[in-house]
Amino acid sequence: MATHGEITESLQAFHKSYQENERLKVMNKDWNRTVLVIANDVESTHTLVLKEGELSFQEGRQGDPDLTVISDSGILSDMFFGDITPTEPYLNGTLKIIGSEDDIMRLDFITLLIWGE
Amino acid sequence: MNNLQLKRVLTLRTVVATSAGLTLATSSFLAAAQVAGFMAGDSAWLSILVSGVLCILAATCFSELNSILPSAAGIRLYLGKAFGDKVALTFSMLYMLIVMGVVGAESFVLAKIFNYSIPQVAPVIWITAMLAIVTLLNIRGIKLAGRFQDVVTYGVIVSVILLSLWGLRQVNFHLVAPLAVGGATKFIQAVAVGVFLFVGFEWVTPLAEEVTDSRIIPRGMFIAVGIVCVVYALFTAAMTANIARGVFIHSPIPQVLFAQKVLGKAGLVWILLICLSCSFGTFNAGLLSVSRFFYATAREHALPPVFSRVSMRFMTPWVSIIAVFAVGYIFSLVILYTGRYLVLVDMAAAAESIIYVLSAAAVLVLRKTMADAPRSFRVPFGPVIPVLTMLIFAVLAVMAIATDPVIAFWVAAGLVVIGLYVVYVVPRIKEKYKVKRSSRRGARPVL
Repeated sequence: MATHGEITESLQAFHKSYQENERLKVMNKDWNRTVLVIANDVESTHTLVLKEGELSFQEGRQGDPDLTVISDSGILSDMFFGDITPTEPYLNGTLKIIGSEDDIMRLDFITLLIWGE
Repeated sequence: MNNLQLKRVLTLRTVVATSAGLTLATSSFLAAAQVAGFMAGDSAWLSILVSGVLCILAATCFSELNSILPSAAGIRLYLGKAFGDKVALTFSMLYMLIVMGVVGAESFVLAKIFNYSIPQVAPVIWITAMLAIVTLLNIRGIKLAGRFQDVVTYGVIVSVILLSLWGLRQVNFHLVAPLAVGGATKFIQAVAVGVFLFVGFEWVTPLAEEVTDSRIIPRGMFIAVGIVCVVYALFTAAMTANIARGVFIHSPIPQVLFAQKVLGKAGLVWILLICLSCSFGTFNAGLLSVSRFFYATAREHALPPVFSRVSMRFMTPWVSIIAVFAVGYIFSLVILYTGRYLVLVDMAAAAESIIYVLSAAAVLVLRKTMADAPRSFRVPFGPVIPVLTMLIFAVLAVMAIATDPVIAFWVAAGLVVIGLYVVYVVPRIKEKYKVKRSSRRGARPVL
């Protein structure tokens, strides 16, 4: 199990790596989405906002999400740190993502391009 | 989680269109002709109706699974939770291989239709051109807008119904021997092949995360199966009334012969448009779902990492898409040069039946292992329907395989090769990445 602070730290790492990747920013120029990240075992909610290629994140819930990512804190933290791919927990049902199939794929592409295989 | 609001929500209309659209393929008309070939008199409608009702039984099982595990991962997740990862991966891979076979069969049939209309261009050129165009569209991430896709699907449904009614009217159709099935074995074989007409209706379950009311998915599946049932029952009745049995059984383009007989050149153009619409949907669904499956499987390190390559420009898994194109193309060429197009139809019917057996079994297993999981849909009458579904589709799988020994060989060979790959190769790939990931843990960005 991870703490709210660890999830925040993992999102900061994800955010930092995203911001350093100029190509990724260009690719997401037209993909404006709000992603809600919720841990289901500790009190922890974050909102990632992608707007015109720029990524920002805040603690708590902001606005209506296009995608909602729900899992236990350990998986969320490992996933945003790049220690695991989202695909494994998604295919075994421990990670739930609510949103369109295309958006789910795009989110996975972003994690792949940030953290590699 | 009930207070979560999605910005974009799918309606029942789209769910029905998606489910029905996935079943409407150009090669399905071949299966309809094959079903009619098994049956005596004008009783083909009966076997299609029975296939449809049986698919509704399977749909109830998918609905319960979807209500416990609403995920775009669909069958891969249901089987994984019920039987473990190895079984899930083996059968998902077999299923995807068959889908690629269907893409191959579809391009073969469509090429034959184009070749019939424009004989100067050889089928191999049509096949190459069509698959290449759809592959390029997929790599570029171009898709039909949801509403337009709905219009196309409902347009195809209405067109086939109108064409069939017109055909029935032309011969002043009256049912002569609607219940003369021509023997139990023939009837069961017709029902088994009839399952092919409904292949893909359950692919709507990945939309589970895009609807607010999860009951829309089962409702959509039931309505879609009902509509498809009516469409093909009418079509086979009209076709058998207008075309001689010996002609439609041995033709790879029975729908074209029928439309031309009924409406002449206008009929030919109309059926061309119908087939193009059907095939575009089938190609798109096939390429999209299989390439995404390849990509996801590579991401979980069960396929070589090359399949997870993503186009930086179009944000699509281009290597996986090209791999699907290559396999589909090989299937098409094999069919083209052997002329055995029905093998893939029967193989798909058999594989689909096997998946239905496993899904029904998964319902029973998950009722024990995930007894407390909330279910917005539960198959009525306890274990009766899942058990019936398992038994019936097991028999239908055997009957579909029994139509040709080649099918038995390829299904068995496919299962053995994929099974060996999953048991011996996948653990090695996973091990390699476990080491790679643990070394990355130390390199976590420092803040």
